[in-house]
Amino acid sequence: MFLAWRDMLHAKGRFGLMALVVTLVAFLVVVLGGLIFGLIKDCVSALQQLPATHMAFENSTRPDYQNSMLDKETWEKWAGVPGVKATPIGHSLANARDAQGAPVDIAFWGVVPGSFAEPRVVEGQGLSAAPNAMVISRKIALDKHVKIGDTITIDRVLTEFKVVGITEAVAVSHAPVAYVPLRKWQEANYGPPGGAPPGDTLPEAIFTAATTIALAIDPDASVDIKAHDREIGTKTMTKEQSYDGTSGYSAEIFTVRLMQFFLIATCVVVLGAFFSIWTIQRTAEIGLVKALGADNGYLVRDALSQVLLVLVFATGIGVLAAFGTTSAFEARGSVFELTTGNVVGSSLLLIGAGLFGAMFALRRIVKIEPIIALGRDR
Amino acid sequence: MTLAAQNISLLLGDGEAQATILNNVNIHVSAGEMVAIMGPSGAGKSSLLAICGGLRRASSGSVTVGGVNLGDLSDSELARIRRQRIGFVFQQSNLVPSLTALDQLLLVAHLNGEGTHGKARTEALRLLAEVGMENRATRKPAQLSGGERQRVGIARALMGNPALLLVDEPTSMLDQGRGREIVELLAQQCHAHKVATVMVTHDASMVSVVDRVVKLVDGRVVSEGAPT
Repeated sequence: MFLAWRDMLHAKGRFGLMALVVTLVAFLVVVLGGLIFGLIKDCVSALQQLPATHMAFENSTRPDYQNSMLDKETWEKWAGVPGVKATPIGHSLANARDAQGAPVDIAFWGVVPGSFAEPRVVEGQGLSAAPNAMVISRKIALDKHVKIGDTITIDRVLTEFKVVGITEAVAVSHAPVAYVPLRKWQEANYGPPGGAPPGDTLPEAIFTAATTIALAIDPDASVDIKAHDREIGTKTMTKEQSYDGTSGYSAEIFTVRLMQFFLIATCVVVLGAFFSIWTIQRTAEIGLVKALGADNGYLVRDALSQVLLVLVFATGIGVLAAFGTTSAFEARGSVFELTTGNVVGSSLLLIGAGLFGAMFALRRIVKIEPIIALGRDR
Repeated sequence: MTLAAQNISLLLGDGEAQATILNNVNIHVSAGEMVAIMGPSGAGKSSLLAICGGLRRASSGSVTVGGVNLGDLSDSELARIRRQRIGFVFQQSNLVPSLTALDQLLLVAHLNGEGTHGKARTEALRLLAEVGMENRATRKPAQLSGGERQRVGIARALMGNPALLLVDEPTSMLDQGRGREIVELLAQQCHAHKVATVMVTHDASMVSVVDRVVKLVDGRVVSEGAPT
């Protein structure tokens, strides 16, 4: 650090500019990281909190929550597999209205009351409280001021639900989730608008369909998922893999990750270029210090400490700035979530990438010959 | 014998382009002795200095500094010998631009793994005072004149009590008066610190203070003796 620190103080302007660039990159990387976590939360948080290990879909080349359709026989067969708990889930995106007629866009989920897919309520009662019960995401309660006891009507089909409970602020595909009993979901999705005609009942056939099956597979049970898929006619994947089956998830995460990747790649190139040029400018000085007796290890450690100082200092400022703007994002209700793990991970990634970029300069240091101190062979 | 260079030859290039820079050169310098190496441009003076200082390896022959054969050492061991036993005074002084005069000396202590406070600092300030630079200790090279920079270079070369001082054209960038002062200062320090000193110069007027003069022409020693 003896030379590194003094060199930095001597060339404050150049190092200040470099640190500013790294600060801006760090700020953007952390903000994009927050955006990714926010998007993940807004796209799949209802799936994340679902205590399932796998999800089974209709067998197709690219299963998704919106288009899959499974029958009762399918989930009963999965439920019969030893070591597997299975429960059907109905998923659709719907437009609804509250009692005042205000629009409420929801991810409309049908689950079997009492099954492991039923959400844990943080306020009010569960889905068994009434045949037309609805448990809503806290996000609906906060954003749309919907309270327990209010009525929610699904547009077009006009099925009415009574809000009996509130669960955590979960969402799917950017829509807050409203949970209802599976039978009412089937009625709303496959039955006639307004429900059964007075004095009539709906055919039992409409109550035999769902979009996906949540599977909780015992890790100690050796379940051959592929064999059961072939036998039952489903396509099963881990819960995490199934996130790609929610609309928009893959494209959104890919876009933001690509931006993050290019930012980090920019950091690698910029730092590599800066320290390479810096080393070229210091060639005579490095040759001199080698002539005075410094070995390559000393000079490489010295240069590394310089790179680390710039990276750690600038990344720290960038992260603080990102934290500072978090409140602004949250106040505007943006899809954004900054977690400690995310921030530490992004910061370490950036510092690692910066060090990688600077390695090119370190190679140059090793190649400089001490004889140039005599003013020859420059 | 502090420095013993025996049968030093240096060949550069390959095939027909090969040039003989040094041809069976012998030079011996004792502690407290100051030897000047003179000769025209291209005579091999600086190449000989580089080989004696472990900055370049000879094609043949051997160099021992304080009994250590430099030819047997790896690059990192050569670096250790340079920082522990050899002091360099370069042409144009060659100071690190970001370091103050004091830090130039403390860098040598730092390279030797010593702290830069306490004993090393006291030693550095004493050496700066010896070369008349105690009032310029906090100045950086850009704030010093050519003569002052060369004085700092001499003090830096003496930091850590080297056995051998190698001086490369110390007056080339100075006027006659300043150059004379620097060479006299070098001779004084050489005798005071009992350090074997080899000074390369092409300026005949600067050699009256040295103990011996070795003349090189086309890579060969053509004469050796007391200055005339």
